[in-house]
Amino acid sequence: MVTGLGAGVQANWTAITSGRSGIGPITRFDASKHRTRIAGEVRGDFDPAGYIHNKEARRMDRYQHLAMVAAYEAMNDAGLPYPPSEPYRCGAVVGSGMGGLASIEDGFRSVDQKGPKGAHPMVIPMSVINLAPGMMSIRFGFKGPNFGVVNACTSGTSAIGEAHRIIREGRCDVMLTGGAEAVITTLSIAAFNALRALSVRNDEPEKASRPFDRDRDGFVIGEGAGILVLESEDHARARGATIHGEIVGYGATDDAFHVVMPASDGEGAYYSMKFALEDAGVDPSEIGYINAHGTSTDLNDKMETIAIRRLFGHSAEKVSISSTKSMTGHLIGAAGAVEAIFSLMALKEGVVPPTINLENPDPECDLDYTPNKAVSREMAYALSNSFAFGGQNASLVFKRV
Amino acid sequence: MDDVERKVIDLIAEVLVDVNKENIQLDSKIVEDLGAESLDIYDMIALLEDEFGLEINDEEVEKIQTVKDVASFIKASGRA
Repeated sequence: MVTGLGAGVQANWTAITSGRSGIGPITRFDASKHRTRIAGEVRGDFDPAGYIHNKEARRMDRYQHLAMVAAYEAMNDAGLPYPPSEPYRCGAVVGSGMGGLASIEDGFRSVDQKGPKGAHPMVIPMSVINLAPGMMSIRFGFKGPNFGVVNACTSGTSAIGEAHRIIREGRCDVMLTGGAEAVITTLSIAAFNALRALSVRNDEPEKASRPFDRDRDGFVIGEGAGILVLESEDHARARGATIHGEIVGYGATDDAFHVVMPASDGEGAYYSMKFALEDAGVDPSEIGYINAHGTSTDLNDKMETIAIRRLFGHSAEKVSISSTKSMTGHLIGAAGAVEAIFSLMALKEGVVPPTINLENPDPECDLDYTPNKAVSREMAYALSNSFAFGGQNASLVFKRV
Repeated sequence: MDDVERKVIDLIAEVLVDVNKENIQLDSKIVEDLGAESLDIYDMIALLEDEFGLEINDEEVEKIQTVKDVASFIKASGRA
């Protein structure tokens, strides 16, 4: 995985369990005229050169660089030889909200200045979202089902859920899955600002993402990628793989309500979590940790709290909840993927990462959001939520192995 | 080797992932010797057009075989 906190699962885990913020001033473009001038940028320690030839990198969008570096880390960690001996039993499903938006913007700028001849032949392959899993298939020789998932802020969770289903249905033994996003661009920031969705706490970048806090003023956009190798249990055990955890449930719904606002009663979120738990055959009281969607927007954080209360009843007071977006920012289509990894790490390590900047809790957000400091807790199950513009909701249930 | 030829070699080397610049000679055939495929060719055309401020249409591209042919075309177009 790659986020503004660093490259690699270990670097990220160390950062979030120590409550570090990855938010800083925008450097990827001149943001001086934008209302929001801060983001969770992937910084200097990310270098695709170790994985991607610099000539090849030229022909890839940044979101594809991030996806491929995360995919190599996942493949190396899994110790899976490639190309695989049964290539049609190996697939890839990767999510992204906006894919190569930066390449679309650059391409348009060039055509606008130079006319139609200004279009570089790589604009299309660098822009489309299915090229992230497509490039993985080329690199690793995976010839099974392969597609992109486009579900805004739910893309990463939806991709993992769908990949999990493909394995559960017996269609594949191995799936590369997750999400990637790199939309810290002039158009994206301007447009999210036009929706009044982003924090404008420009003077205090590290304090800007403050889910469930009374003084939150919007989400902070981040970039990055999270890629996981999913394997059927039989396949993983047969080759003696190190198993980090198990995906045991997936739920997905839509609010059927509004283009950008969540339904304030949290009904879509409630059913998403409920279906995931039913799919897993797990009672809410058995969940030790919820990695909340927790965007740091007024609407989301209240709605998610209502949905958790409704589903968990009395056990809502006992479950540890946190929003790691307080540190990574909101990675849009990669958010659910990096948060799935954080959820699995929480189970494996017995540590709940904190929600930082939770200084004055919103009275309407009155659950245990693990304020400011990580907590040790042995847990059997974790739940991770993602909710999107468009009303898409998806939840995954993970089990410690 | 003149400046145009050197620049053409630089641009071709930038495009072809598996080819080292040292292995690109003036008489190297771009497809047969250097292994360029169609996307590489389109990429090269885009870079050359940008660098030299000219237009290379598809019929002209078909007449070009070697690195030297590219440089000659650019010099003949009078923009270099």
